[in-house]
Amino acid sequence: MGELIGSGIILLGSVFLFSAGLGVLRMPDAYNRIQTGTKATTLGTMLVLLGLAVLHPAWTWKLLILMFFVLLTNPVSSHALARAAHRIHTPEADETVVDQLEEEEQKAAAAAREDSA
Amino acid sequence: MIRRLLIFVTLLLTAAIFARLALNYTEHTQLSKLATHYAGQGPAELGAPNLVTAVVVTYRGLDTLGEVTVLFISAAGVGLMLRRRQQVAVEAEDKKPSSEIVVTAAQLLLPMVFLFGVYVFVNGHLSPGGGFQGGAIIAAGSLLLLLTLPGAELRQRLIAVTESLSGFGYVVIGVLGVILAGGFLDNRIMSLGTYGTLFSAGAIPIIYTLVGLKVGAELSAVLGRFRDTGEQ
Repeated sequence: MGELIGSGIILLGSVFLFSAGLGVLRMPDAYNRIQTGTKATTLGTMLVLLGLAVLHPAWTWKLLILMFFVLLTNPVSSHALARAAHRIHTPEADETVVDQLEEEEQKAAAAAREDSA
Repeated sequence: MIRRLLIFVTLLLTAAIFARLALNYTEHTQLSKLATHYAGQGPAELGAPNLVTAVVVTYRGLDTLGEVTVLFISAAGVGLMLRRRQQVAVEAEDKKPSSEIVVTAAQLLLPMVFLFGVYVFVNGHLSPGGGFQGGAIIAAGSLLLLLTLPGAELRQRLIAVTESLSGFGYVVIGVLGVILAGGFLDNRIMSLGTYGTLFSAGAIPIIYTLVGLKVGAELSAVLGRFRDTGEQ
């Protein structure tokens, strides 16, 4: 029974990982691709590790540490990537509606100009 | 046309080379004489469950010393070639700082990365891994530090001292092996302890700790030098 549950969780995780790969191929611009490559892989990897923990209860603590590591590094590294892409003005898709980082930077620049004036 | 033909001929020739390899291949059904000795006597002689480590650190210890030397020479070469711009360290102010998220995560991660590196080389005689791998992980931690905190400086002098002392200690243990036990880098200068525990396998954990420190310090120094000369 435990084996069945564990395998099911791993399968669910691999579905998320597959959708992440699909998203990287299908999404229109760099930011969207980073986004799919982060959210879906974080959940997918964690589900796979969770399934492994069900299959091999003895590994649980090590797998928990791995999960924590993935949960911490995956979003942060994609955050850094996306910021770097934004800084070198990687083009956005035409459908993009809002760019809050750009707005914020312009606000900061305007405030700096007012200060100096 | 000619290009296509050339590609085709190259592919054929490559295939011929690999075909000979594949056709003449016969699987070894038993270990060679030396391997049989290592696999059969190794754990009993040296007390290390990880046979790869036993071979790398003791049976073939002299080779490992050579590898460490090669690494040292390449690190020294990088230092020599990238010497020029030592003083021109104005930079860093016009650069935008890393975002708060990145800085916080790096501060959380750094100790864990270093700890994991230490874990890998301290457990080299028990589980996969060892001095070189642990050292590389430590250097990866240094790289994380250099990337996320552009203002941070590696303390080159401390690194150089660590590296020299651990290299020196490595050779001293090797010579102690000649004096007290069966030969250069023999690990039986200390008791073998209980098979499979952390403090066992004689001098192997000490040797691998020294190798790990040395490799980590060397690679970190190389990374730091690249960073310092890359800022123009």
